[in-house]
Amino acid sequence: MLEPLARPPRSRDAILSVAAALAASLFLLFLVAPLVGLVGSGGSRGLRALASDPELRASLMLTVGTATLATALGILGATPVAYALARGRFRGRALVSALIDLPLLIPHPVAGIALLLVLGQRTAFGVALGALGLRIVGSVTGIVCAMLFVSAPLYVSAAREAFDRVDPRFEGVARTLGDSRWRAIRRVTLPLAWRGLLAAAIVMWARAVSEFGAIVILVYHPRVASVLSYERFTAYGLREALPVAAVLVLLALVPLVALRALRGDERLPSRRR
Amino acid sequence: MIALEDVSARVGDFTLESITFQVPQGAYGIVIGPTGAGKTTLVEAIAGLVPITRGRLVLGGEDLTHAPPERRRLSIVYQHAYLFPHLTVRENVAYGSIGSRVVVEMLERFGLAEVAGRNVRVLSGGERQLVAVARALARRPEVLLLDEPFAALDPRRRVSVRRELRTIYFERRFTVLQVTHDFHEAGLLGDLGVVLDRGRMLQAGKPEEIFRRPASPVVADFLGAENVFAGVAQPIRDDAPDWLPGADPEDVEHAVAFTTGGITLYALGHVIPGTAHAVIRADDVSLSRVPSSSSVRNQFRGTVVELAPAGAITRVTVDVSGISLVAAVTTRSVRELEIAPGTEVFAAFKATSVHLC
Repeated sequence: MLEPLARPPRSRDAILSVAAALAASLFLLFLVAPLVGLVGSGGSRGLRALASDPELRASLMLTVGTATLATALGILGATPVAYALARGRFRGRALVSALIDLPLLIPHPVAGIALLLVLGQRTAFGVALGALGLRIVGSVTGIVCAMLFVSAPLYVSAAREAFDRVDPRFEGVARTLGDSRWRAIRRVTLPLAWRGLLAAAIVMWARAVSEFGAIVILVYHPRVASVLSYERFTAYGLREALPVAAVLVLLALVPLVALRALRGDERLPSRRR
Repeated sequence: MIALEDVSARVGDFTLESITFQVPQGAYGIVIGPTGAGKTTLVEAIAGLVPITRGRLVLGGEDLTHAPPERRRLSIVYQHAYLFPHLTVRENVAYGSIGSRVVVEMLERFGLAEVAGRNVRVLSGGERQLVAVARALARRPEVLLLDEPFAALDPRRRVSVRRELRTIYFERRFTVLQVTHDFHEAGLLGDLGVVLDRGRMLQAGKPEEIFRRPASPVVADFLGAENVFAGVAQPIRDDAPDWLPGADPEDVEHAVAFTTGGITLYALGHVIPGTAHAVIRADDVSLSRVPSSSSVRNQFRGTVVELAPAGAITRVTVDVSGISLVAAVTTRSVRELEIAPGTEVFAAFKATSVHLC
């Protein structure tokens, strides 16, 4: 009597490949379809609204301006932190690292509430700032604070990776050649890490532009673009919210293209090898 | 001058412990040891890139144990060059240089003038290493630290870079400490050798002395001594010409009978009676087809087991009463004496060639 033949492994592989391709296609469709639908439905109206809708224009200007300021502050404050985490071998490094990542993991309205607890007008810090003429809640400063809080951890993480990719021996050689620590960082480490640091700043800026939850708790007015799209959706419905939402998606393409260009540039030397 | 007194340093889980040696001003020191011995940690501790946790480091007569690297007036060259990839060849050489004239001189001496304007990313491995050496020397350091600088070079380039570096060294007479795992290089270059293993210093002294008289079987084995035998050493007290009456046997060098396996070697040493190791370098063992009547104290009849020719030298393994003795003889002698596996030969070496440890 003949034994039944085992199924050839090649056909099993083919079935698995088809299943994996199907799952991947569905996943990509799930990610892309809403955004393509949004830009398709409201993209042209959004671009026209840029010329005719002064509130949208002002809101976009505010969003871009505050995100840029928050990113600049992030670069100033977080770059030394990222460097210390990449190079330092101090006790509690893991704890500091975890604390910095925490704002990424909590719901963003919760981040807003936390900021309100520290920077609110009736808190000690808020009173002190008020005495200096600085108001956080309901002000442009508040928007910058919310953006900084939720997006700086992304910068720290990416900047730390950028520093990690630069072998510390480059800095060591520079120091034996007469450079002080700061001079070696400026002349060697930063020029070698700049691409990664720029990518980190772009990611931070993009995250700041798209922030909604923390901002809406701290500052409802003046309205950034994400708050404006939410307000138009709740007050006037989908049709009025569409142009603002479509413009925000198009705005997100700017850092995306910049990042792709940076990474493409990074790969060029290896292609020549 | 480089002087380390009981220096310890730590990198992660690795500890370099109690290192003491001195490379005099203008001398060429060699640090030799297997992978993971701590050679790079040692040069980085001297350079100030790894903190010294204990002990004292003196460079050029000044205590610089805790001084920052930029104050130590030294340069370092790593095996992988570590050229600054965002700079050109000229900019790399000029990085820490004392002046533009030195930069031009170094570019010319190392044959880099034609590629001076190129980015270092496009250089070959050999050219990169030349730039690293030129960059280090353009600083006119008092101490030059070399961490396996020739290991990544092809043999021809290695010889030319080494020759140029030696020429500059003899001109300027700065102090050099070079890390290597190449015994030939150590013997060729060094005034002083330091053997490291697992973060500890096993021996320091003249390279020739270390090769001839390794402090322990571990050093002998690492340095490639082919004949290392464990056995029992016993001073020959009843042999009148070798024995100084009234002398403490631990203080004077005297005749020693060293028994290993089925043979007894005649050696000289300070050895305390008991178990020991005998080290005989293959270069010191000669072979003949008939017994020789010379002053050589050790002569054994044996059978050739294996021939390992390597160019002009052939390593011949001879079985002597169950002991494998390796002799390094010229390939020409092997041919003339018609030595082949199975041939009966006489292996001979002087008592002074037997080092007991």
